[in-house]
Order: sequence, then structure tokens, then C-alpha cells
Amino acid sequence: MAEPFRGLQISRRRWLLAGLATPLFPARAADSLIVTFDGDNLHVSSLGLHFLQGKSLNRLKEGSTVEYVAAIALFRDQFATQFKRSEAHFLVSYDVWGTGDVFEVSTPGPPSRRAMNLSQSATETWCLESVRIAASGIGPDRQFWLQLDLRAVPPKLSSVLGDSGINVNVIEVFTPGADERQTFKAGPLRLADLVRTPPRGRAG
Amino acid sequence: MKHAWLGCLFLGSLLFAGPQDSDSNVNARYTVETVIVSGKGWTTNLRSQTTDKISIGLRQKLTAIIGQKLNPAALDTLAGNLKKELSAREVTHRIVRGETPEQVRVEFEVRPARASLGMNVNQFLYDSQQGWSGSGEADVTVQQHTFALGLLSNGDWLPERDSGITARYEDKHLGTDRLSFRFDADSFHTQWNQTTVAAMAAHPGEAPGLYRARQQFQPTATVVLAKPLTLTVGARVERFEDEGPAAGTEGANAVITTLRYHSSVEGLGYQQDLDADCSLRTATKVLNSDYVYSMRSAGVRYQFRSGKHTVTDNAWAGFISGRAPLSDRFVLGNSYYLRGWNKNEIDPLGGNRAIHNSVEYHYGPFQAFYDMGAIWDESQPIVARHSVGLGVRESVFSLAVAIPMRSGHVEPIFMMGILP
Repeated sequence: MAEPFRGLQISRRRWLLAGLATPLFPARAADSLIVTFDGDNLHVSSLGLHFLQGKSLNRLKEGSTVEYVAAIALFRDQFATQFKRSEAHFLVSYDVWGTGDVFEVSTPGPPSRRAMNLSQSATETWCLESVRIAASGIGPDRQFWLQLDLRAVPPKLSSVLGDSGINVNVIEVFTPGADERQTFKAGPLRLADLVRTPPRGRAG
Repeated sequence: MKHAWLGCLFLGSLLFAGPQDSDSNVNARYTVETVIVSGKGWTTNLRSQTTDKISIGLRQKLTAIIGQKLNPAALDTLAGNLKKELSAREVTHRIVRGETPEQVRVEFEVRPARASLGMNVNQFLYDSQQGWSGSGEADVTVQQHTFALGLLSNGDWLPERDSGITARYEDKHLGTDRLSFRFDADSFHTQWNQTTVAAMAAHPGEAPGLYRARQQFQPTATVVLAKPLTLTVGARVERFEDEGPAAGTEGANAVITTLRYHSSVEGLGYQQDLDADCSLRTATKVLNSDYVYSMRSAGVRYQFRSGKHTVTDNAWAGFISGRAPLSDRFVLGNSYYLRGWNKNEIDPLGGNRAIHNSVEYHYGPFQAFYDMGAIWDESQPIVARHSVGLGVRESVFSLAVAIPMRSGHVEPIFMMGILP
């Protein structure tokens, strides 16, 4: 006798497995990058991309300045041969007297740029909008892959200058705080296929 | 001179490299209401309370930010200072809302260390007359126990240049916080300046002989008699390997005693510190010592600080009776005493009588000093010498030029490096 067709039914065991596995792939599906082209530069955005989180967010809420680094790299093939890279730094701080969660963000420059009274998501958007990479030298029909790395710079090591000379804690040097890093990938892409946006200036 | 210019550039970069954090942190516009330091089982609000867990110097640095605009970069430095002073595993800081709008509270949390491993450069000094001197050590601290092993080459402090290894064990809590124990063991190879060798040949009876190596072992215990008053007692066993073809070994075994006092008075916008100590070292035949002598010394240091102004007076005198080894004789004309004079010129064999006074004025990192001192043996006339100098000092980095005050040819002495 033929086994009855179960269609799209999923067993309770599979639901359980799926539930356990979900935290291992945090929001990756929602984080697909949107890459746009303004005629000179490539820009990235994503509705599901949040980097003000975890330990770095705790550090911000404790009043520290946290430096974030966003790096865009372009690859000739599927993330093996890199041919272009651009990096941007952002200094973010949290206003302890702000109404609600209010952040300030600036770029070290020159030229230095600054934005104040931003919400958490507006801060993330401001940073992402500032990230770009020049598309010069890429043919409109040439395939390429794009990778975005976002990381929070861990806190500095304690000062080595003391009253008794220069003192270095070896354990601290060899066990620095781990980077909080997120990587997002897109590709294959072609300039001809990308959504065109108005020009926003040239990038290196 | 090449080293001097490099040193100037290095020190200059340290002085004028300002922190960037205060510009980029939105909270830099708020005023610090108070500073709270907490550890395992203790909390101190420095605006209204005092604590003996933190030294007066560091407490002053912490309270100095109260009432000022917040400088987040300075908090990292203060956390580092707390971590160092309290031998903590970690010191974190957070900024929270104060009781008054637009004011913030700075909270430091001290997490005690179970163990630490450190590398320390205690001294790294260039003196245009004596050359380079340096010392460093690696230490392991487990709870109150510290083990350290170091290297040293010092041509500044004693009549000789010592090069060798140092080892130290320290227990800062011997049953009680009032009692600590320390054991030092050092082994040095000794080099002599030509002027010292010539002086020894010219005046063979003036001082004991030269040696090519020496080892010293020094166990001491320090007890807190009353909070600002401590007494250190112990022993010092030294072995000297004589120079020359019939090289033998001589010993200097002594009992050592040091009484120290420290007090500090803080007022509105100023701080006064007073340190005093007196020491007695006695080596006798009873202790199986080849050298029999008694060394007494006493010093008083007074410092007044107000804002960027600091005035310090440091007076010290020493007296040796009997026949002390060269390493125990007094020296003036180095980077601490009678700066600007060359020790090999004024006292190549050291002296058994010395008196010294130094007055220093600091404005921020800039310093000016006037040293006055005399060194002699009991059979010699007392000659007072003077020197003046200018310099820059930031943290442990120091750069100074000292000029001896005398007639005839004057050669300034240049000193730079890391001085504790």
C-alpha cells in the first residue's frame, strides 16, 4: 500500500530542530544587502541591518564613545579575489540625559561630519549612508561581488604609564576584548542591473 | 646629542598629543556631579566620603574632575590608574544621570584580580655624563603575593655601574594588612669609571677596595605602627668579589631599620604632602661582617600643590662611621642629587658624609629646580655646591638640563628618559 501523501506537513521533531537552530543564524535572511549606484559610487543599505547591539551598545549606554568601522570590499569572483576596498570610521556616543535612546555620531575626518539627536535606527542608517566605494574601472556588464564588514573597536587597553615607570599587563595584552563583527555579502552584481540613485559625490 | 633630539621629539609628541574622545562624546557637555568608586564589599562617593583604599594622590586626581565638564578620555586614564594601584583585574567606568539635570555621576567599578602577569620598565635614563641606565622586570602577582625577576644596568645611582639581575618576592598581607614581607636577591657585575680607579690608586686608604661583582640578599618586614607611620626592619647580606689577581670574597652583613612617616592635608584648591624617613644600617663582626660600619640617614620632603603649581623641597643628610663598602657610600652628582654636577668629578669614591637640599617648582609639565649639596669624608673640608636646571616632566617622562654653578668652564648636563 502506498504511503499516504503528507504534503507540507512538518513533524513536531523538525519544528523543534528548526527552533533550536534559529539562534545560530541571527537574522541573516533579513540582512540581505541592497546595493545602489549613483553613477560614481556604490552604496549599501539594508532594512534588517543593526550593528548598535550587544556589548558595544552596553558600552554606549554606560557613556563611552564606541568606534565602529565599516569596510566595503569588491571581489572579482565569489569572495576570493578582492580588487577594491574602502573603510569608514564612526564615533558613536549615547546621550545619558537624552529623552529616550538618543545617540550622536561623527566621523573623524577630515572633513569631520556630525549628527546629533538620532534614534538607534537613524544612527545606523546615517552610518550606512556614509559608507560608499568608488565604482570607477568597473564595466557596466562586469560581474562582481560585494562584502560589507561592520565591527565595533574594542575598548583601549589601560594606560601603561604609572608612577613607578611603564607597566604592561601581559595577560591584558594577549586577551584583548573580542571584536563584535558582522559580515554581509551580496553578488553576483552588475552595475547595469543596480538601482540608480542621484549622485552623492565622489569617494576614493 | 642625537639621542637628546630624539628624546625631545618623543616627549613633545606625548605632551601635545591630546585625547580626541572628549570632542566626539555627546556627554562631554555635562558637568561631573560626583565620582563613585566601588569594589568587592565597598563603595565610596568621593564628593562626600574619604577612603584609605585609594592613595591621596589618586584620590585628588579623581576628585579633581568633580565640577568640571566630563572628559571621557580622562576616565580611561583614571580607570587605568585605579587598576594599577589596586592591582585589580579590571576597572570599568560608566556615566549615569546625576541628581541635577545636565550633571552626570561617574562610577568606577573595581574587579579584584586573581592573578596578573606584568612587564615593567622602572627606569630608562640617558645622562650626558653617565650614559644610559635602565631597569625592568617581569612580575607575577597571585592574590597578595608578587614574584618579580628583572634586569638592570645602572651607572647613575652608585659610584659604580652595576649590571645584572634582580629578583623579588613580596607578601603585602602577612596575616594582617598592617604587616608585609619582602625579600630581594640581586646579583651584579660591576664596572668602574677610570676616575674612580685613579682616585683609588691615589688614595688607597680613603675607601675600601674595588670589586668586580657583588650579590645582595635583603629580607625585610614592614609593620604599620600607626596609620601614617611605618617601621621596616630586616637584614642585608652582601658579598663582594674583589678585583685583582688574588681575588677573594668579602662580606657586609647588616641589620637595617627604617622609620617612615607620610601625611597629607587637603584644603580648598590645594594639597600639602609631608614625607619623612630615617634609616639606620649597622654591620658588625657579630654578624660575621668583614666591613664594620654604621650608616645613618634622614630625609624630609614637603610638597605643596595648587592647580598647576607645585613646589617641592627635599632635604636629606647622611652619615657613615666605620668602613663601608663603596656601594654603600653616598653619591651626589647624579640624576637625583646635585643634578648638573658629575659624580665622577666631585666624589669618584663616594663620601661618608653628605647633605643635600633640592627646591623644585613645577607649572604643569614645566619644571625648574635648584639643588645644593656637599659630600665629604671626615678628614676633608666641606665644600658646598649648587646647581640649577630647567626641564619638562609629564608622568614618568622627564627631560632636563642642569647647570653647575661654578666659575670657569661650565658644561650643562642633559638628562632624559623614564624616571619614577
